[in-house]
Amino acid sequence: MHATPSPPGRTRGRPGPALGAAGAVLVLWYLLARSGAVAPGLLPTPGETAAALADSARSGLLATDLGASLARAGQGFALGAVTGGALGFATGCLPGLSAAVTPVISFLRPIPAIALVPLATAWFGIGETAKRLLIAYAVLLVVWLYVHDGVSRIPVSHLRAARSLGAPAHRRFTEVLLPAAAPALLAALRYGASVALLALVAAELGGADSGLAYRLQVDGQFLRVDRMFAGLLVLGLLGVAVDLVLAAIGRRFVHWSAS
Amino acid sequence: MSLGVRLEGLAVRHGDAHVLERTDLELPAGSFTALLGPSGCGKSTLLNLVAGFARPTEGRVTAGGEPVRGPGPERGVVFQHYALFPWRTARGNVEFALKRLGLPRPERRRRALAALAEVGLADGAGKYPAQLSGGMQQRVALARALAAEPEVLLMDEPFGALDALTRTRMQTLLRELWKRRGTTVLFVTHDIDEALSLAERVVVLGGTPGRILADRAVPAGPPDPELRSLIARHLGSG
Repeated sequence: MHATPSPPGRTRGRPGPALGAAGAVLVLWYLLARSGAVAPGLLPTPGETAAALADSARSGLLATDLGASLARAGQGFALGAVTGGALGFATGCLPGLSAAVTPVISFLRPIPAIALVPLATAWFGIGETAKRLLIAYAVLLVVWLYVHDGVSRIPVSHLRAARSLGAPAHRRFTEVLLPAAAPALLAALRYGASVALLALVAAELGGADSGLAYRLQVDGQFLRVDRMFAGLLVLGLLGVAVDLVLAAIGRRFVHWSAS
Repeated sequence: MSLGVRLEGLAVRHGDAHVLERTDLELPAGSFTALLGPSGCGKSTLLNLVAGFARPTEGRVTAGGEPVRGPGPERGVVFQHYALFPWRTARGNVEFALKRLGLPRPERRRRALAALAEVGLADGAGKYPAQLSGGMQQRVALARALAAEPEVLLMDEPFGALDALTRTRMQTLLRELWKRRGTTVLFVTHDIDEALSLAERVVVLGGTPGRILADRAVPAGPPDPELRSLIARHLGSG
């Protein structure tokens, strides 16, 4: 029996430097807030921010907003990732389709999602559908780009080898195309997740009755800077957490690739 | 088990560019032929036609009398850059070739390990391609191709990227495997000494468009300097 050796390319970031940097930022933040360099009431201390966060956690507002935002971002992301991924595979495999679709997407891609909020509202109203579709659209574009690029770079010799080894089409897809595209797919999902958060904020600022970005807007109107800081902190932590989860999944499934 | 291969009036053009002129060639079952020529002479094109990766503009290829319409497991291919699947271990790569046979798992595993042992890589079965040297990767590729039990083995400059010592070892291994299995081998190379030390027959391809410049049997025994210089002249005349 052969023991399975640890697959290559498994590198893990150490938490030490990251925690050190976070500590340094907290200290600098505290000193700046206490120094009086910023007008009073415009820069809360870390402690005041934590208090505002605890407050919204206790009142249940945090859970409501987090739930609403996560549901929107999650559903939009799932829809965008599935359609973008499928389209990326299709255009990556079929040069004829790619020639037709690529110019269209290249035109649409540079238009920021936030610019589409008024149009989405006009078409779908201010309900959840508009928000989900906006997020899905933004995610679709980046996931398509990464997957298309990854699939079209799969070495032709891999597919030729599979065919000359007698693998039928369904095996060539599941056992060659999918794993060969997996590193690109993972990169697509990580980037897509960050874009989903960006689009989420744009969508909620366009009109909502709950959500992390909606709450930021409300807190802004009342100049509750401590609450705004707490909200930004939650958005940042959410992004980091999602990326860590996706990266961990990637290390598990895409162990042969260094990225 | 082996099949004979026939190239009948084969020609390849890309638009106006003639890549391969009308070519006839017969590879008898069980023979070992080296296809020798400079880069860009069409020798890889010719191999791809036999493999079924490309279609000729004119003429046809038959293997065992059957026209070639696409890639098939009876014609195994070993690629210059190995074309191993980096997400599978050495054993996993060989098992990929065995899946077609519908064997139970333990039998598939046993055969994969046997195929790796046959190329001298029993210890590396659990390693991923990235953990193996170039020579070891090409051993896995050879084991994978042979595990599918091809009747024709097509090799496209398979040892071109290896260092001299590894290359010599791989040549010895290939000769042994061929003698044991009797598979028809078509071996593409641009190295005249490699062609002469491996094959029973050397076909020189050259010129624009590519055509057969020489077709010589290589007698068994010590290398023949006269044959070498004759073939070298043909290579130069392309």
